Amino acid sequence: MIEKADVVIVGGGVNGCALAYELSLKGIKAVVVERKHLASGATGRCGAGIRQQWSSRENAALAIESVRIFERLEEELGSSIGLRQGGYLIAIHDEKDMEQAEKNVEMQRSLGLDVSILEADEINDIVPILDIEGMKAIGATFCPTDGHADPFKTTYAYANAAMRNGAEIYRFTEVQDIVTDGEEIKAVRTNRGTIKTGVVVNAAGAWSKKIAEMAGIELPNVPYKKEIIVTERMTRIFDAMVISFRDGIYFSQQDEGQILGGIPPPETVTGYKTEPTLSFLEHMSSTLTRYAPVLKHINVLRQWTGFYDVTPDALPILGEVKGLKGFIQCNGFSGHGFMLSPMVAKLLAQLIAGEKTSLPIGRLNLERFEKMDFEKEKSVVG
Amino acid sequence: MRIDIHPILQFDREREISFLYNGNKIKAFEGETIASALHAAGIKVLSHSIKLNRPRGFFCGIGKCSSCLMRVNGVPNVRTCITPVEDGMVVESDVQQLPSAEFPGSNKEDISVDILVVGAGPAGISAAIEAGKRGVSVLLVDENPMLGGQLIKQTHKFFGSRKERAGTRGIKIAEELEEQVRELEKNGKVKILPGTSVFGYYGGGSSHMLGAANKMSNVMYHINAKKVIFACGAQENMLSFPGNDLPGVYGAGGVQTLMNVYGIKPGKRVLMIGAGNVGLIVSYQLLQAGVEVDRVVEAMPRIGGYSVHAAKLRRNGVPIYTSHSVKEVYGKDRVEGAIVAKLDENWNFVEGSEEDVKCDTVCLAVGLTPSARLLFQAGVKRDYIPEAGGYVAIHNMEMETSVKGIYVAGDSSGIEEASTAMLEGKIAGLSASISLTGRDSSTTAKMEEYIKTLEEMRRGPFGSKAREAKRKILEEASNEGI
Repeated sequence: MIEKADVVIVGGGVNGCALAYELSLKGIKAVVVERKHLASGATGRCGAGIRQQWSSRENAALAIESVRIFERLEEELGSSIGLRQGGYLIAIHDEKDMEQAEKNVEMQRSLGLDVSILEADEINDIVPILDIEGMKAIGATFCPTDGHADPFKTTYAYANAAMRNGAEIYRFTEVQDIVTDGEEIKAVRTNRGTIKTGVVVNAAGAWSKKIAEMAGIELPNVPYKKEIIVTERMTRIFDAMVISFRDGIYFSQQDEGQILGGIPPPETVTGYKTEPTLSFLEHMSSTLTRYAPVLKHINVLRQWTGFYDVTPDALPILGEVKGLKGFIQCNGFSGHGFMLSPMVAKLLAQLIAGEKTSLPIGRLNLERFEKMDFEKEKSVVG
Repeated sequence: MRIDIHPILQFDREREISFLYNGNKIKAFEGETIASALHAAGIKVLSHSIKLNRPRGFFCGIGKCSSCLMRVNGVPNVRTCITPVEDGMVVESDVQQLPSAEFPGSNKEDISVDILVVGAGPAGISAAIEAGKRGVSVLLVDENPMLGGQLIKQTHKFFGSRKERAGTRGIKIAEELEEQVRELEKNGKVKILPGTSVFGYYGGGSSHMLGAANKMSNVMYHINAKKVIFACGAQENMLSFPGNDLPGVYGAGGVQTLMNVYGIKPGKRVLMIGAGNVGLIVSYQLLQAGVEVDRVVEAMPRIGGYSVHAAKLRRNGVPIYTSHSVKEVYGKDRVEGAIVAKLDENWNFVEGSEEDVKCDTVCLAVGLTPSARLLFQAGVKRDYIPEAGGYVAIHNMEMETSVKGIYVAGDSSGIEEASTAMLEGKIAGLSASISLTGRDSSTTAKMEEYIKTLEEMRRGPFGSKAREAKRKILEEASNEGI
């Protein structure tokens, strides 16, 4: 195992691999250490949506820039990422929703996003199988450049490109300790050896809190167990991701025809439990068929679980921790890590290289929780 | 293609009916499945693969391979090989269109039971009978419409101990087992849910929660069981060669189902791959059904099955080629022939040894893999044991796994035979009952007797693989303190 690196990234999810790639472009040697295989955590288990419609300016800006990168990523990395921009259709259920939607759309448009508010009778033009009455919609917002990509392909495309540029990726390598002198990072100790480094990026997803503890830093992140179902294949009917902030549901149709989606499980579970539940399966199935009754005859093929790494404001924690030089956070994505990864990686690479970041990320530091200076992201599903 | 005269079986076909397939009227008999009726009508292409649009035919016949998915009465993705055909049914091969059928509504039912048995093959029924006789409540669930598992197609006589029904045909054993379990059902000791799939394990502790569904009647079951016995059987292995997905390439078990359950011939001339017991027995059964068998090829340097089965084939003029395998199967939309060739000691094909076998059916009898996914979902300790056919649940002598209250029996605990599966079922049924009602001198004696008989059945050269598999499993169980 390598003995020394400029940067050690903990976690081989999409964010860790993307960051290794972005650093490699700047000639900075990064080493990724991953406890299992690449994309084995939330990346490989997620709903794979890419959304730019947010209530907070930080998330919206990050997502808009990420989509711009996603759009040219296949060409840049030289392999497919399975991008499909079929839009996100967000249900509006009542006047209160409408008010929030109008506020969101105004902010999003100010960032240059193509997003519109649809009347209830325009919803079926986008997704013909929706039952407007069943889903209790009075309208919807729609952004045609939202979409989804394949998290496995994206992660491997980043990882392979990074390795071509000299990054090293160690799989099945578990971090056991982060060595500091109290002021700065010195090394990362793993089950396969110790790597000397001045910079550690904590991109360990739901396990970020544990990694931070090794460096004596407390994160407010809480792992939440989330569940997803996928149905059998059927003819391609719609391209958009359908979501509702009120019901918490999201679902889309994959290229091969499966419907894939999730909803918050009826029993909220924190901690590292991975068992799927019957109550989620039933809640998801009944809500999904309320939205699209034609799916009642369609079989569920699989259900699985993964984790949201949730922060108090549902926004990520990015950047260096005050008081521990070289300890960079890249976690707390609260369910949105995949879609934000291209821009997050770019920004953190700039930060590590000592450049000015092309978007301000100061507000996303860890200290905001200490100062209680934050506003909660409202546009959350799953 | 229907078999009319058979030396062992009598096909008393029920009422003649008809159904529509892609707009054409097809004749069928009540009691047949949709896929078997189509096969009898000469329709061999049942579906097309989704990505490459390659034709797919009848392969497993027991609802495991997805080659036969069709749209039935407006409902997509129906497994036609386990769905009984009905008069006036509308069947379409365009499976992926949206459902057009009205949804009849669904029901939910909660069942609490002492012992749940998943799978009603020889192991599962034996377990249910054993437990049902001991005063605990038992629920027996199987996704097939008929009870008996693979016994219902086994027309050959069993070997082994007389006491364990040697000399009796599998189909006869299935009838006897069904009779006994139905008797217990009548007395309220065992509840039976055929046509119902147990689809997931949802948590344990002092009892176990499982989900099950009957797709025909749209009933969803929440099953809460104090003990669970998984007797889920096995599925047939595939072999990798060009053309292995052509309609006309069957699992040997699928052919057996077609012939011996539904009385339908798979084709006219067969190439059998594999000379283990399944390959030999099915070859002989093909002859009995009036189908030609060109030859049997076996990759190993010797015949794996009993010599008495091999001798029967040879007497009928069917050659068995050891150190030979299939290189390729060819044909347009269906099997037209196959290239077989000799294998050298490194398992490579010997160049120049190729032979072109003209046949319309290729039968794969290349082993089974235990169906144990529900066990794995329940979190039992598992390991890869080649002699057992793949990943299996580690279990102790009394068939309990590393998860308290979860038992395993039959092929899902390691590939073996129906006769040993029945004994393992009895042991698991007894063991689960004892854990609820307590152990006494009579149950202890019974357990000892069953275990002794099982060990006796595994003696002899043909039990060597099973012996080795079980030795490894038990050793690991003892190391793990199971």
